[in-house]
Amino acid sequence: MKRLLNIDWNKVERTLGGLKFAVVIILLFSISMIIGTFLESYYGTDFANRTVYKTFAFMLIQFGMLMSIIFAAFLRLPPKKRLYGFYTIHAGLIIIGVGSMITYIAGVDGTITLAPNEPNRQVILAKDVLKFTYPEDGKQVTSELPYSAFAKNIDEDYEGIRVVEYIPFAQGKFVWTDAINTYPATLPVQSSKYFFKNPFAEQDVLLTLHPEASPEFQSSTTMGPLSFNYMPLNLASCFEQENPSGLIIWNSENGECFTPEERRIPVKETTAKNRFVVIPMGDKLVTFFPDFSPFPVDANFQVDQKSIYRSFSKKLFEEKPALFLFGEKLAYYSKADKKWLVQDIKLKGDSVSLPWMGAEITLTENESKLVPFNLPIPVVPIQKNGVLIKGDIRAVKLEIQGKEYWATNYSPLSLIISGKKVIMEVTKESLTLPFELALTQFKMDKDPGTDNPASYESFVKLFSDGKMTNHHVFMNNPMKHQGFTFYQASYSQDSGGNYSTTLAVNVDQGRFLKYLGSLMLVLGGVWHYNLNKRKKGATA
Amino acid sequence: MKTLLFLTVLMVSFATHSAETYFCKPELETLPTQQGGRVKPLYVHASEAMKALTGKAKVGDLSAVEAYCLLSLNGMGLQSDIKLMAKIEHVDAIKHLNLPEGEHLIPYETLVGIEDDVRNEARRTDVSESYKKSMEKLFGNIHLYKEIKSGNNWMLADVQGTVLNWTALTAYLTEEKVIAQKEITPMDPFLPVMMRSKAMYEQAFGSRYMVEFYYAKMGLPSVAMLLSILALGSMVLFKNFKIALGFAGLSIVTQIALITLRVIISGRAPITNMYETVLFSGAGALLLGLILGHFKNEKIFVYMGLAYNVCTLMMVNFANGMLTATISPLVPVLRDNFWLSTHVTTIILSYGALALSWILANTVLVKRRLGKMDKKEEAYHADIIYTTLKWGTTMLAAGIILGGVWADYSWGRFWGWDPKETWSLIVLCFYMAILHGRYTSWIKNDRFMTVTAAAFLSVMMAWFGVNYILASGLHSYGFSEGGAVFLGTFFLVQIIVLIATKDYSKGKKEAEPV
Repeated sequence: MKRLLNIDWNKVERTLGGLKFAVVIILLFSISMIIGTFLESYYGTDFANRTVYKTFAFMLIQFGMLMSIIFAAFLRLPPKKRLYGFYTIHAGLIIIGVGSMITYIAGVDGTITLAPNEPNRQVILAKDVLKFTYPEDGKQVTSELPYSAFAKNIDEDYEGIRVVEYIPFAQGKFVWTDAINTYPATLPVQSSKYFFKNPFAEQDVLLTLHPEASPEFQSSTTMGPLSFNYMPLNLASCFEQENPSGLIIWNSENGECFTPEERRIPVKETTAKNRFVVIPMGDKLVTFFPDFSPFPVDANFQVDQKSIYRSFSKKLFEEKPALFLFGEKLAYYSKADKKWLVQDIKLKGDSVSLPWMGAEITLTENESKLVPFNLPIPVVPIQKNGVLIKGDIRAVKLEIQGKEYWATNYSPLSLIISGKKVIMEVTKESLTLPFELALTQFKMDKDPGTDNPASYESFVKLFSDGKMTNHHVFMNNPMKHQGFTFYQASYSQDSGGNYSTTLAVNVDQGRFLKYLGSLMLVLGGVWHYNLNKRKKGATA
Repeated sequence: MKTLLFLTVLMVSFATHSAETYFCKPELETLPTQQGGRVKPLYVHASEAMKALTGKAKVGDLSAVEAYCLLSLNGMGLQSDIKLMAKIEHVDAIKHLNLPEGEHLIPYETLVGIEDDVRNEARRTDVSESYKKSMEKLFGNIHLYKEIKSGNNWMLADVQGTVLNWTALTAYLTEEKVIAQKEITPMDPFLPVMMRSKAMYEQAFGSRYMVEFYYAKMGLPSVAMLLSILALGSMVLFKNFKIALGFAGLSIVTQIALITLRVIISGRAPITNMYETVLFSGAGALLLGLILGHFKNEKIFVYMGLAYNVCTLMMVNFANGMLTATISPLVPVLRDNFWLSTHVTTIILSYGALALSWILANTVLVKRRLGKMDKKEEAYHADIIYTTLKWGTTMLAAGIILGGVWADYSWGRFWGWDPKETWSLIVLCFYMAILHGRYTSWIKNDRFMTVTAAAFLSVMMAWFGVNYILASGLHSYGFSEGGAVFLGTFFLVQIIVLIATKDYSKGKKEAEPV
């Protein structure tokens, strides 16, 4: 062996092609992979890809392996008969490496989700992008975000929007912030945080009317059968009135309310016994069918969601447990007293008992102007059973006209910038297929007598060049079209019980080389190790 | 209700003495039943259910089927004094259930009363994963116990023409059927009604499911273990190679029969869970040992094959917590017999071959430490190990590539850095490093043994570790986890052996940072 290495090659070649370098690089490769598998186990697939498998350093190690393999073969030329197996193995590995490189550079690896009978041609790829949509111009622009595991400063400008920072794994941290925009003093933008408790559970409940609140915070929520509904403080006074109709009319811009009885407006019934009420507002008449919709109807009896007026029918909330919260007041229908009760709830004061199974509630925070906001904070993600349970928010910090905004994969940011509407969202890069697919049916067989799936099958229609063809995609039976291959990958079910299917989409130009190289590697291995009569260790 | 009352009165009236088993007779063992997505004989299902509940198939003096049947009769209103005990292993679970010091058993009747509490504990987020898992398992067992006791777990074949319905015991055993049968066999109307379900099923669908009955009754894993131990004993203790070879031959035939029966029962390649892979690798290694031994004319291969075979058969027979013998339907992605039987078989056989090298390396290490091995013998053994390594790595490389081709064919990607894929590549890399390192002055014969023994730890990690440690995250490492404990012990013992035998290698630095 020593003699072989001492031939007059230049030193770099000797080092790269040497067995010691091979052993070192193989071990380095192995150790990186071990770290990768443990990182994946703790922090998830995406995190492991971003810290190990798809990093430049790991690619460099793989390149080192390739160099070692090439030079090791190169050093052992001209061909010797006993090394034919060895050459085949190394040539196979080089070919696999080249094939993989072609796939890496030119291949497509994504997914397409098909909802029933909705044609789709968008393939979702792996890269994170920030997408700007200008609905008025019908224009979309995407900006690639860094493929990193940790928060990264960006500092790029795009038409008055400065992209400041990208956080690939973030968790929301609750804060009260000042509103970015100014609102009329009368507009109800209040928020309150309550602590709800019953013998089975206890939980903070944050309710808000603020338009800038994070999308997780709404004006209503539910907990089991109980619904929480948040309304402007002024409305509490109308809940106190024991008016026979149980109707309240209110203005969503200033929170003012009255009952039809107060203004001596009759509540009438149609011939079909549906209640309606016609309210004069200034010089206009506003008509409500309060048992059907809180919004008024227009001249064509269509619900007018743009109106600032609302009706509220207390009768609709007397059967099921419903709690109405107004900040420092609350209201509910008492079945025992057969009437609506309105109670005070003091900030940080005593808890108020509720009539449902020993439940009680306290008011812990009350803000009239501040915005409840989940500020994205960079975290190391945690994955359990294949799902991220921490750090599943991808967030971009933006600066627009000196003000700070956030856009995430869960909540797009929608703004008017210099008179033009812009929607900004963190999403995945996508690819438009030259043909269209639609799901006609998704079928899942179960193992007899159990709920365990036995097969997933998608029946797909393919529209290409004005022709329509039917395809059946299931496990181990992909569909091929125009160089793309579609594989059954996953499925989901919406609340209506309809199944959508997810197909993996793949274009792999390096496939032939990888198969060829693999074949050479295995045959070479058999040749070298199992057919060679002379042992290499002894001869070298 | 009236029906139930009638049947109960009738059953009690046939009961003659106090320890009555009603119609719960051994004949029922052959009844077909549907459980876990498969049709199997009641004997197999009852044994599996009792094993899951109590850890043992037998309940006191009662066989699994008798106990299962008596418990099910509770659903018909017949009280039985059969008392099933759950075995609690997890320290925190014992504490939570307020069991007395040193007590591990708790009656299922008590557990049924605190079912909600057990479920709440299993859903807690502020406790260790291992505790949660043990509580989840306990909750599942309480559910199973209740289901059996309600008579709804026992599904009987009810064939109407060519339509097969699986009906729960309480719905199957109707007053109408029993009265009709009472006309024919007045003394014992129940058993014939039950047995009719078998007759109907067999007439319509054949008796193929009975293969599993004979398979379960034969106890082939214990027979094979006994034969392999005898073979190894004859070889090592009595130095009688011919007798050893005889026993080894019988053992391999038994194991092939065992594997073949599982193929017939499940209708697929016999390598789809840990139990089967351990069994298959052991049998494969023994077969490889016998073949190599024959062609190379070296007895030592037979020794390696037998020693590893005994290890795997012991696991198959005794490590019930970690390896379950239950035959279950496959997850959809694995339902491709061609790829399953080529890819997984190649990988598992390669593990078997690498295990041979591991056995011999450790044997040499220990012998050398005891001063029973000279340089020449060591070099001879190193060559033998080298042969098995060549076989093992070639097969492993082929197996990984077959896996890549299968993944490409069914998922659209050749390689995806999935933990199982990655670890099999790590194993290959380690062994390639050893094979390459043996050419250099880095790994000489003395150190070759150490690194070969150590490298097998990577096989164990790829084989068991990915499933038992990586799959649910390292934080689930707990004492109730049979697999993790097994793996931890294996690593510890191997490392101790490596350290204890280290000083022979003249104080040179370790070559393999495994």
